[in-house]
Amino acid sequence: MEAEDGNGANIDALVAELRSRVEERRRAGAYPPGLEEDLDAHFGRILVHRVAAPDLAELKAKLGELDNRHFDPKAIQTASGLPGGGRVHRAVGKVVGRQTVGILDQVRDFADNVRDVLKRMVVTLEDPRGHVHHDLVGQFDAIFERLAIYEQASVDSPGAVADLRLRMEQLEELERRRRFRPWFRNDRFEEEFRGSKEDLLDRYRDLAQHFVGSGPVLDIGCGRGEFLELLRDSGVEASGVELDPELAKAASEAGLDVSHGDGLSVLAGAPDESLGGISLIQVVEHLTPQQVLELVLLTKDKLRPGGKVVVETVNPQSLYVFAHSFYLDPTHAQPVHPNYLTFLFREAGFDGVAIDWRSPPSADESLAESDSSDPADAASNENWRRLNRLLFAPQDYALLAIR
Amino acid sequence: MAIHQLLVSASPDDAITNAAIELRTLLRRVGPSEIYARFYDPVLGGDVKALSRYGSGRPAEDLIIFHASIGDPEIFLFLRERSERVVLMYHNMSPAESFEPFDPAFAGLLAAGRRDLALLTERVTMALAVSEFNARELEGLGFRDVRVSPLIIDVERLRSRPSEPATEHHLETGIAGPILLFVGQLLPHKRPDLLIKAYHVLVTHLLPEARLILVGPNRLPRYQQALQSFVQELNLPGAWITGSVSASQLVTFYRHADTFVTASEHEGFCVPLVEAMAFDTPVVARAHAAIPDTLGGAGLLLPPDEDPFLLAEAMAAALTDEKLRSALVDAGRRRVGDFDADRARMAALNNLLDVV
Repeated sequence: MEAEDGNGANIDALVAELRSRVEERRRAGAYPPGLEEDLDAHFGRILVHRVAAPDLAELKAKLGELDNRHFDPKAIQTASGLPGGGRVHRAVGKVVGRQTVGILDQVRDFADNVRDVLKRMVVTLEDPRGHVHHDLVGQFDAIFERLAIYEQASVDSPGAVADLRLRMEQLEELERRRRFRPWFRNDRFEEEFRGSKEDLLDRYRDLAQHFVGSGPVLDIGCGRGEFLELLRDSGVEASGVELDPELAKAASEAGLDVSHGDGLSVLAGAPDESLGGISLIQVVEHLTPQQVLELVLLTKDKLRPGGKVVVETVNPQSLYVFAHSFYLDPTHAQPVHPNYLTFLFREAGFDGVAIDWRSPPSADESLAESDSSDPADAASNENWRRLNRLLFAPQDYALLAIR
Repeated sequence: MAIHQLLVSASPDDAITNAAIELRTLLRRVGPSEIYARFYDPVLGGDVKALSRYGSGRPAEDLIIFHASIGDPEIFLFLRERSERVVLMYHNMSPAESFEPFDPAFAGLLAAGRRDLALLTERVTMALAVSEFNARELEGLGFRDVRVSPLIIDVERLRSRPSEPATEHHLETGIAGPILLFVGQLLPHKRPDLLIKAYHVLVTHLLPEARLILVGPNRLPRYQQALQSFVQELNLPGAWITGSVSASQLVTFYRHADTFVTASEHEGFCVPLVEAMAFDTPVVARAHAAIPDTLGGAGLLLPPDEDPFLLAEAMAAALTDEKLRSALVDAGRRRVGDFDADRARMAALNNLLDVV
């Protein structure tokens, strides 16, 4: 905008622009309706109070003057300017005076009362507590209460809002940095560390058999879809859900019924008692304790009576697991103890909760016992066995339960 | 031959008093010249004499320049009884109605002033007005041959005055956010209430960090109290009503203001507009009375209607739109050039010479 040459033409354009801004804000509801009228009325009220407020000092002075005025029968005029009229006047005055005394007394009594009432009114006026209307007091209380809320909520002040925004940004940045965002592809990771497709098919074939006759099955965290393939090959109707978009896409492209998403949400969205089976292969060790709790209840809701659930996960009772596989996957949150998981499913009302111990470390990993018949060797062999049980317990377990 | 000036009241840093002192410097080059006032601040003792000391028996060719800005029965009586020729210099009078509820006596003086002024039409040799607006008003009262003689405003002197350190410190360290400045007496016709309403809209909906400083003497205590209450009840801690300030404080405020704003509806000239422009401060005002003449297109002049939303929007634009700001500052600088003090002195002198 230019204010060149003082010709005002550009200023007129600017004023028109300013007017349209006002209109836009009005239309967008930025200004409370009636704000202008409220402001006018507000200042008007203040002016009335400041300018037209009664002057109490003046009122009191006038009241004091009233106090000095008395009704007196002697004030009745008895003198007369007429020659010889004085006597007549006095006589008439006396008679009138006598008859007026009673009325004067009444007037005096009335005036005293009025004076008293006026005095009390001035005193009341002077003390604001005395002349504030009850309704008004109630309204003030309500306003003060609302005001207190705003004053306490210092977040409303522009500075505090700015602070808050900054803190939010800092927290979001912190959260962004904490979040695991691998630049590598998850399918590459799976190939490298979870073994070949054939290995996996071999490893889980028996678990898939478990679901024969129990379709439809939802495989949560289906990964590349090996378990779904096993189910399909066994003639079990099944679908899967996978959090990683690449893996989900790969499984879809392989012709499997797989959607991309959060397993717990998908499960929660399924109609109650709509599933014959639910499988979670190497999933629960990625969840928070609370998610595990929710998962158990959800499986209970979504399985129809007689439906089956299989939860396969790493076995924390095997110390070998921690040395070899558990920490290999940075997205593992915490292992879930088989006794705890058993407890959860039983508490949730599942029947036939059983544990299937799986993937024992190969025998040549364990500590070798001596074959001599020396009693000392026998004792140490027993120790080796104990140590082997602790160190080389099966690496995984599968919890099987029936609703 | 002597040329004397007559004022109803004289006080330091008052625009009319300053103009009279300026003019006297000029007149003394020609001959004896004094300033007489009915009421004056004792601080001005050396500069202003009491009206009662204006002796009788002066030569009839002497000239009296009467600065009219308010009524005073004594002065009008004095003028009617004297035989010297009279030049009227009209600075306009505030509208009586706006004082009526607060100061009926003062309102009476203003009303009487206008009536008395009309009685002077035959008495004055020449009528001078400081603005076109005032000239039209004089013509309306029946004066003929009304000439416009701009007020002598020495902006150079104002600009060279150093800032007042305490005020400067407060403005620099105690106040964050852009500053809107109003300078003028807090009188109802200057509409400080509208300014506060617009400021309320501004900080609530447009520019929360903006500040408003109202600088000027408080002539009507009850009205100022009402404004103060209004500010408090609207919860506007960013608004500051300073009351009277010294000339050094005034220039400090001008130097730190980001925008000068007035909502006034009656001004005979409005010196603060010129002063603000002299300090490179963009001006926002409403098109009332002499304001459009004085601004001469150099400010953001809003239409005369009473719209706090439009005023708020204009304040926001004048504070934040850098392009607009620099255009207003440039235009302001050029406009201040039109009020060159030497040119105003020449004009005043030329007009007076015509009479002499």
